[in-house]
Amino acid sequence: MKSVRIWFKKDGATRYISHLDLNRVMTRALQHSRLPIWHTEGFNPHPFLTFALPLSLGFRGVRECMDIKLTEDNICEKEIIDKLNASLPVGIRIFKVTDPIMKAGKITYAKFHMKMTCDTITLEELFFLFRNLFARETIEIEKKNKKGVVKTLDLKPDIGEYTLEKTNNDVTLEIILSAGSVQNVNPTLLIAILEKENNIEINYDITRMDLYNEEMKAFV
Amino acid sequence: MINKEVEKLLLKVQKPGRYVGGEMNSIVKDKNKVNLRFAFCFPDTYEVGMSHLGMKILYSLFNSFEDIWCERVFAPWVDMEALMRQNHIPLFALESGDPISEFDFIGFTLQYELSFTNILNMLQLGNIPVKSKDRTELKNIVCAGGPCACNPEPIADFIDLFFIGEGEEVDLEVMDLYRQCKKNNETKQEFLIKASQIKGVYVPSLYEVTYNEDYTIKAITPLHNAPPKVEKRLMTNMDKSYYPENFVVPMIEIVHDRAMEEIFRGCIRGCRFCQAGFLYRPVREKSVEVINEQCHTLCNNTGYDEVSLSSLSSSDYTQIGGLLTQLNEWAKEEQVSISLPSLRVDGFDDEIISKIKTVRKSGLTFAPEAGTQRMRDVINKNVREDELMQTCSKAFNNGWTKVKLYFMIGLPTETDEDVQGIAELGQKVINTFYSCENRPKGKAVSVTLSTSSFVPKPFTPFQWEPQDSEESLKAKQKLIKESIHSRKITYNYHDSSTSFLEAVFARGDRRLCKVMELALEKGFHFDGWGECFSLEKWLKLFKECGIDPHFYANRKRSFDEVLAWEHLDYGVSKEFLIKECKKAYASQTTENCRQKCSNCGANKWKVGVCFEKRKNMV
Ligand code: SF4
Repeated sequence: MKSVRIWFKKDGATRYISHLDLNRVMTRALQHSRLPIWHTEGFNPHPFLTFALPLSLGFRGVRECMDIKLTEDNICEKEIIDKLNASLPVGIRIFKVTDPIMKAGKITYAKFHMKMTCDTITLEELFFLFRNLFARETIEIEKKNKKGVVKTLDLKPDIGEYTLEKTNNDVTLEIILSAGSVQNVNPTLLIAILEKENNIEINYDITRMDLYNEEMKAFV
Repeated sequence: MINKEVEKLLLKVQKPGRYVGGEMNSIVKDKNKVNLRFAFCFPDTYEVGMSHLGMKILYSLFNSFEDIWCERVFAPWVDMEALMRQNHIPLFALESGDPISEFDFIGFTLQYELSFTNILNMLQLGNIPVKSKDRTELKNIVCAGGPCACNPEPIADFIDLFFIGEGEEVDLEVMDLYRQCKKNNETKQEFLIKASQIKGVYVPSLYEVTYNEDYTIKAITPLHNAPPKVEKRLMTNMDKSYYPENFVVPMIEIVHDRAMEEIFRGCIRGCRFCQAGFLYRPVREKSVEVINEQCHTLCNNTGYDEVSLSSLSSSDYTQIGGLLTQLNEWAKEEQVSISLPSLRVDGFDDEIISKIKTVRKSGLTFAPEAGTQRMRDVINKNVREDELMQTCSKAFNNGWTKVKLYFMIGLPTETDEDVQGIAELGQKVINTFYSCENRPKGKAVSVTLSTSSFVPKPFTPFQWEPQDSEESLKAKQKLIKESIHSRKITYNYHDSSTSFLEAVFARGDRRLCKVMELALEKGFHFDGWGECFSLEKWLKLFKECGIDPHFYANRKRSFDEVLAWEHLDYGVSKEFLIKECKKAYASQTTENCRQKCSNCGANKWKVGVCFEKRKNMV
């Protein structure tokens, strides 16, 4: 038995399916591919698969991955890629198969590429809103915990390197945020702050570019 | 293709996956390379529509022709609809993202009466004039088929033509005619007149309806040589009939997410309340070999690990045992499970149980439909109590602990005793559980009794019957509740107010079109969904239009009244239906088609069960 890491892009129509849906799509693709996939044991056996880190509904992903187990060792990368791609909706494309090197638990940061527009204010204004947001000493959001108690949370420590830019068509932000099982910050939280404070609606197009470990080494 | 404008809305709605297409096996063609575009519209949500077999068959069939591109359109849920209206985004098809106004045909499938308002709403969302007479050009032909086309009069003003019966052939013939008429620069009217000459096509604008003073129909008169009776179409050879090798595999969760294989059409039984049982006569089976191959191909092409054998009554398939054996030869190995929905009480034998055992043991569902033998005889549901108990014993001895039983209330001739019988039957099933030696130990038995209110439907022996009044139905629900004395029995019932509206539409006539129009104006949609439906609002609407809905739902018709669907012909003769109705009143049952042919009229096609050798004749 051999564990392999399957790397894929999630884009197009498949952006709009949830993590749970993605799980079902992948499960069925594994079934359809007729690759020698290891199935879980028990009453209701199904192909084993586990994702490195869920991707929010609506986001594009260009370097997503999941781990599966093969019951035969001598299957080449190309065969896996071709068979799986033939079994998947066009929005999901497998582009690489590797050995799993890092554990998913090591993921600490993620990089996002965000393009934003707003129908009610200019790009200039939108740009300055973001610039001012990052200039704050603390970036506070209110979050309800499981008991329903509202707590304020400072996002500032979770924000890593970023570049903010106004282009001809949008405001582009590339940003590194805490990600993973310990602390996970969804980039839409930043958008939500500005929407709430300024009573505007921001259109966004977000791509998750990559995942990193604690030392900012790309997840492999 | 997701349209840019639509994309902006997607993150603001629930389940955006409903609106994006892009699923595996969905068919994208170059619109410049086809000469006919067909928007197949299902007037309900994506999840409901994508579970529907008829749509899958026709979608694949139409697209099997290079020059036709058939796309799917569903009713956007209320959140999306509101945003689309706000942003002036017209209703679009999933494959191309193009507005439905760009299509040659806009075809609806009529699965239940309560989806009628969604049809009008979808047309309006697509910027298509809702009335047929306001669409004057030869384009955007609005057509409809499916079971409710058997009485399409409440929407007659909106639809250009209806397909009566099974669509596989007639739909294509009409598309051919359309292309010809387009080529010859003919008008829409010329096209419709020609279409009415095709067998199985009903063009409502070519019939004039007149009324008597007592509000009943006086006559339905064909114009422009349209046939006085439109005869349904049907496929005569199921083995040779087109069946998809592939299904669009949805990415989001839908109601029935599995491969489906149709094993036969029609039903031998003749339950007197069941419209489908009469509309699809006679029974025509596929052979074991064809089913086996089609199932295998479908599972291979879709990756589904479950295939359900679909029909009105699966255990009536003549070679069900042999079929399951053949299927299991590959299914086990490929980890595919076989499921048999619509199992009859008497079809649950050991051989079948052992072969579908792979399917979840969660619950078994049966439909005795009525609580006493007398009542079951009236409706010709030939199931005996001892059969039900035997079946339940088998199930309990094989590890099942949950049984769900479906019933109807408000049936013709029903008494309190019949109604109480429903609760009593539930108790007897509980008692049976405790008398089973091999019942699962340490597990509690649970019986769910579920009742719906009977809706008299066209083309059934009960088409002349009044629907029970709401007060009476409510009293019956209460009576059942009071007659249940065990905590192991749960009682559910369907709201009788939706059944009332269903009864009005099911046997309504053209005068209801104006109610429909007003309903559209007032923003009615998704009447089949509890969160949208309001009987109160509907009653107000009827009042505003000066129409008494009880005239349609609760009135007993005489056998010689001209019915709103008099000009449509599904093969089953009126004489037969009258005979059946009289037998119902005398509590007499009728043999099923395999026991004895009762000469219903469907043998005129000279196919199927009508010409099978019957055991008692050999
Ligand atoms: S003609 Fe006879 S066998 Fe054929 S469908 Fe009617 S009753 Fe059944």
